[in-house]
Amino acid sequence: MRAAIAPGFSELFITVNPSGEVTRDGLLNLNMPWLFAPWPEARTKGVIEAEVEGETLRALLTFLAEAYKKAGVDFEPINPRTNDMDEDYDVLINGNNYITLPNRLDTKLEDGDKVKLKILWRWDG
Amino acid sequence: MLDNDELVRYNRQLRIPDFGEAAQEKLKTSRVVIAGVGGLGCASATYLAAAGVGHITIVDFDAVELSNLNRQVLYWEEDIGAKKVMVAQKKLSRLNPTIEITPVCAEITEQNASGIISGAQVVVDGLDKSDARLAINRACVGQKIPYVYGGVSRLRGMMTTIIPGATPCLACFSPEGPRGLGVLGITPGLIANLQALETIKLLIGQKPSLAGKLLLFNGNDLKFRVYDIEKNEGCQVCSQGSVRRRADGA
Repeated sequence: MRAAIAPGFSELFITVNPSGEVTRDGLLNLNMPWLFAPWPEARTKGVIEAEVEGETLRALLTFLAEAYKKAGVDFEPINPRTNDMDEDYDVLINGNNYITLPNRLDTKLEDGDKVKLKILWRWDG
Repeated sequence: MLDNDELVRYNRQLRIPDFGEAAQEKLKTSRVVIAGVGGLGCASATYLAAAGVGHITIVDFDAVELSNLNRQVLYWEEDIGAKKVMVAQKKLSRLNPTIEITPVCAEITEQNASGIISGAQVVVDGLDKSDARLAINRACVGQKIPYVYGGVSRLRGMMTTIIPGATPCLACFSPEGPRGLGVLGITPGLIANLQALETIKLLIGQKPSLAGKLLLFNGNDLKFRVYDIEKNEGCQVCSQGSVRRRADGA
């Protein structure tokens, strides 16, 4: 699949097999520079495109983890111990949390799907 | 000047080359507000009191419950039902009678946050709600008081040191996250001790380590991740607000 990736504040916005140009319209300024580590050109381009092997959400997240690892960033949205989403992150497809989908991380992504991967903040004390 | 008892009490930290008597004297005259005295606040208050921070204001409105005792180590069974700030004030004063502990029994809101933190050199986060944190964040930015954010759940923790004008503030991120996931007491203990360390660095004039950085602690596999963070120029609290910028900077 082709993935158009737009790093946000503390999230990644990804459009799967986009039919047209993906822009940063509506996204505010940037404040987690490490999110750009694998694609420094995104700093100026705003959005980059990448080819991902596989068709599922899991394949996309695995691709992202590998891309960050190569860039020297320890970013592991899928926890290797549980083989599920790590507690520090959450992922939504077209606004729906992955846990509400029957196949969860193994959900097949469709053309135009919008995936949002975000860091969860901690509020308990 | 430190008296003889203080020279003995703080002897082990006075031996640290870049700490010493000058730093200890700064701590002695320092003013810190600890917002919330739960799992985080109990630990940070204990270590800041033990280290000799001269004036500590502790703020909380809750009473001690049995379910607090797995992590809120200033409270014991005999304290159940008592106001947390009163119990904490008594125990911290027994730990270090040379310092001043001021209890404030109040729930932090947008309306009272500014008054509560007024006069503090550093505000330490011990809260358990996002709205109270954002109220404290706004007040700290308004009064240019450093705010050491910490948050936990389960075996995970997060922390950053907010220096108004220099680093992102909490509102820069529109942060989202779940509450009430449960927590092992060690997690707030660990994060709170890091908050206390950052606080002491700020008070004695050393550079804080987590200004402009976000620390994620993962106790499941014992990993610490530290990410750089930048100000959001569209932040309604610490920047001009409602500014949108294209990625190319235009």
